[in-house]
Amino acid sequence: MPSPFLNPGPQSKLDSLALLQLRRDLTIPTILQLQDDQDQGYKEGKVTNTRFGSFPHSTLHDQPWGSQIIASKVDTGSRGRIQSKGKRKADELYSSTAAEDANKSSPQVPVAASSGFLHILYPTPELWTASLPHRTQVVYTPDYSYILHRLRARPGCTVIEAGAGSGSFTHASVRAVFNGYPTAESPAKKKKMGKVCSFEFHEQRAGKIRDEVKQHGLEDLVEVTHRDVYEDGFLLGDPKTGKSPKANAIFLDLPAPWLALKHLVRNPPSGAESPLDPSSPVYICTFSPCLEQVQRTISTLRQLSWLQISMVEVNHRRIEVKRERVGLDYEGARGTVVFPKSVEEAVERTRTVEARSQRFREIQNQDDDETTPAPKAANETPARQDPEVPVYEQGRLMHRSEIDLKNHTSYLVFAVLPRDWTEEDEQRCREKWPSNMVREPRGAPKGKRQMKREEKERRKQEGQPKEEEKQPNTEP
Amino acid sequence: MHSYVRPHQYVALRLPSEFTKIQKIEPDSTVFLGKFGSFPTNQIIGRPFYLTFEILDNSDENGNCLRVIPAAELHAETLIAEGEGDGDEVEVNEDGTPVRTNRETVDDASTQKLTVEEIEALKKECGGAGREIIAKLLESHSALDQKTTFSLAKYMLRKRRKYMKRFTVLPLDVSILMNHMMEDKDAAKIMEMRDESMGLLGCMGNVHHGGNLSLDEALAVKPNGRYLVVDDTGGLVVAAMAERMGILYPHDGEEYEEQVSSEQPKTDEADQTQNDEHPAADSTSKRPLRGQMPAPQNSITLLHPNKQANLSLLKYFGFSQDSLDDSHPLSRHLKTVSWLQLLDPSSDPIYSQEPEILSEEELFAMKSNKRGTYYRKRTRWARAQSVVNEARAGEFDGLIVATLMDPTSVLKHTVPLLSGSAHVSVYAPSIEPLTELMDLYSTQRRTAYINRRQLLREQKLQDSEQNNASENEPQDSEFPELLEEFTLDPTLLLVPTIETSRVRPWQVLPGRTHPMMSLRGGAEGYIFHAIRVIPTQQIIQAAGNPGRKKRKVVTQQTSTPADSASGVDVEMKS
Repeated sequence: MPSPFLNPGPQSKLDSLALLQLRRDLTIPTILQLQDDQDQGYKEGKVTNTRFGSFPHSTLHDQPWGSQIIASKVDTGSRGRIQSKGKRKADELYSSTAAEDANKSSPQVPVAASSGFLHILYPTPELWTASLPHRTQVVYTPDYSYILHRLRARPGCTVIEAGAGSGSFTHASVRAVFNGYPTAESPAKKKKMGKVCSFEFHEQRAGKIRDEVKQHGLEDLVEVTHRDVYEDGFLLGDPKTGKSPKANAIFLDLPAPWLALKHLVRNPPSGAESPLDPSSPVYICTFSPCLEQVQRTISTLRQLSWLQISMVEVNHRRIEVKRERVGLDYEGARGTVVFPKSVEEAVERTRTVEARSQRFREIQNQDDDETTPAPKAANETPARQDPEVPVYEQGRLMHRSEIDLKNHTSYLVFAVLPRDWTEEDEQRCREKWPSNMVREPRGAPKGKRQMKREEKERRKQEGQPKEEEKQPNTEP
Repeated sequence: MHSYVRPHQYVALRLPSEFTKIQKIEPDSTVFLGKFGSFPTNQIIGRPFYLTFEILDNSDENGNCLRVIPAAELHAETLIAEGEGDGDEVEVNEDGTPVRTNRETVDDASTQKLTVEEIEALKKECGGAGREIIAKLLESHSALDQKTTFSLAKYMLRKRRKYMKRFTVLPLDVSILMNHMMEDKDAAKIMEMRDESMGLLGCMGNVHHGGNLSLDEALAVKPNGRYLVVDDTGGLVVAAMAERMGILYPHDGEEYEEQVSSEQPKTDEADQTQNDEHPAADSTSKRPLRGQMPAPQNSITLLHPNKQANLSLLKYFGFSQDSLDDSHPLSRHLKTVSWLQLLDPSSDPIYSQEPEILSEEELFAMKSNKRGTYYRKRTRWARAQSVVNEARAGEFDGLIVATLMDPTSVLKHTVPLLSGSAHVSVYAPSIEPLTELMDLYSTQRRTAYINRRQLLREQKLQDSEQNNASENEPQDSEFPELLEEFTLDPTLLLVPTIETSRVRPWQVLPGRTHPMMSLRGGAEGYIFHAIRVIPTQQIIQAAGNPGRKKRKVVTQQTSTPADSASGVDVEMKS
């Protein structure tokens, strides 16, 4: 089955992952099923309950992705009673069969509720990262998007990921390298298929990742290995004699990446196969929160001949945008600041207040004996803002950083290991491309058409002296 | 992926001055690097990327004038410093003050005893690819012993940049091209886009390879991986997205072949290089010119404002729109549609005016070049028809925008073309266009829009009942006053968000680790993203935590139907 992450198809499918989007930053991942495995006893079959209403899965499957789904009226009360009955020993047998009976009979058709809805979305690594069950610190989108870009993780690459953790990077990297599902019938096909080799030393977490990968239809694209990579390296299968993953890119999210680096060399001293792709440069990124870790990692990278070493941190902010309404005439409205919006308004206001008190004093002076209260000023309630302006256009558009900032995630160390280049390779290359062969610009094999085109191009360039790109590439 | 330097390929050469030069590597020619010297291209063809070469002063008997600098030599200084434990701590006197400070240093040029003329003379006679000059300069610097480790390192670095005759060969990929444009070229041409923005733009747009499901299988449901791109950076965004989709590099996927052969005696590899020598020539002879129809899946549809799209940067990846050769993957997977063709195809002559079909005999009677023109015109028309119709039919899997135009106008016309749950990702160098966009999709607007639409609908229904007219459910497009008031339909996008990401580079050296002292400023770079949804036409109310008392003053906002994108809990109506 194609993965819902990579080929979601036009609509939601049963037994496949779907994300239930309730509101910003609140997304519930769920596998759509008609029958409830956990047997919670709903008449409607499997139901997801949220603070925005209850959603039987029979209303969620086979819907076009992105649909807005209305909540249903689900009787949660009586179900609770059945369950509590079930806890009584005497009734245990009875109630469980009753629940089974209820399940066997086709689920009840749900009734739409008067309020509450959600949107059903197909999963993407971004949405998954935001909603996944946290097992460890998560590599978030701003970090992994930059890392994958710098690692040149492209369709057809093989990525090693050590420290699978919660699986956010796993999902992002499999999307980056995906170029099709490996097919059994054409193993001789020459195209290299993208793959992620994920290593995790925590047995339970490795198992969880493996289950997740299977549930998400990615089992052909991600190979999860339970392994301590400091000790046993990165070969697939057996740590000593296993197959090399032939990795093009490596991501190490480990507490001590420098201990794993000794396995990531072109010719391991132990004589084992190198886990790296011998025919391409290998890119690495390590992800460590502390500067000391970075220093040790970089020092080891230098000793192991990695090049282009660089270290960066990613600063990411989400921006809030809202209309800020400031003015005296917003008095009483929600989300506004009641304060003069300009000097003019302040002066005007003071003037009115002053005038009013003046009048008040005058009245007091005039009718010293009388006890009538001061008459209400006519213009006490200021005219509301132009009623023509609808509420969504009032005020000024402002932006600011969101309140909770991630000030530091981790330091990212990048490096490249070029292909091995031996003296023999160099000799072969020299034979093929004679070193001192420098020809004058080729003229003979040019066709008529090519000549014309070049002529045109030259004229164009002469017309546009801006083109500073062109450099003479022949000997003068 | 990029395993070795192929002939006729563009590469980036990084010079000691940190400048990158983009160079097409034609065999049997010479590359000039200005004051850093020159070298014949044959001496880097076939070699792996990321090697650093030193240009030797005297070539050997075969004319070799390049030497690969081993990594250990490149890192030598740092490795030695680390080995000595130097730099871990600042050397201190007994009383704890540092031995060397800059208190005594004299801030003038008199400390360097060599005159400018002497240095110039040195440059002429000294060999050793600049190392000797640097050594001489150090020797003759009178105040060297007063320098702190830090300033000494800085001094060495400065001199090395100036005199070393070295260069590094880098594969020209999107990231390197982008940095080259930013640092060495006109950054405004690529809208000052940085690596981090590009990474985020692609991820947020969920751009990826469409997979290898067989076409029948995929078409039964819908083709995979079709992306709509609006790119005013001269093709950089198209290149980056094509890179993510695996359709940018013509030689992609061939490496596997090579890998197999590398296990056999390595001579195969050399042969392969030979085969690669004229890949273009081979493929053109096999295939008809531009005869292929565009690929239905894993494709980019580029919307462009002019008659022809500006894709000048794609030349570095071996793709040209006018080229007759269609061996490049982009020639099948990139479709270009102008805004005119999208919005009003009948006014576009290429699309609307079908060239007359000629009979076989007529064609036979024609001159060969006229016949060629005829076929070219027919193909062009057929291609325009298929591409434009396909674009207008919509159901795209994602929308990526980096435009100089107002993003509002772009989204107004493109968001309806997306399939449900597709991701929208818009880059802008500065935030203002995006905040306006956010405002157009604000919760309050959405609520007002839905209420207004409901009102208009009811009116229309009443009218139609009175007139006994058709009882069709009125569509949004039937209410021009709605779009006039709201510009675009704010109910089509969910969770609009703006974010910005900025990378801060550090220097990591033994005892001298700190963030880089200076950085390029300029545009910050912001990404807007949201998800296309299919709103229900029913009126529903948001549920939420009831409890907070409703204030009387909010009268305009009677109900909050279909409104989940708000950041705050929506109140229940009692």
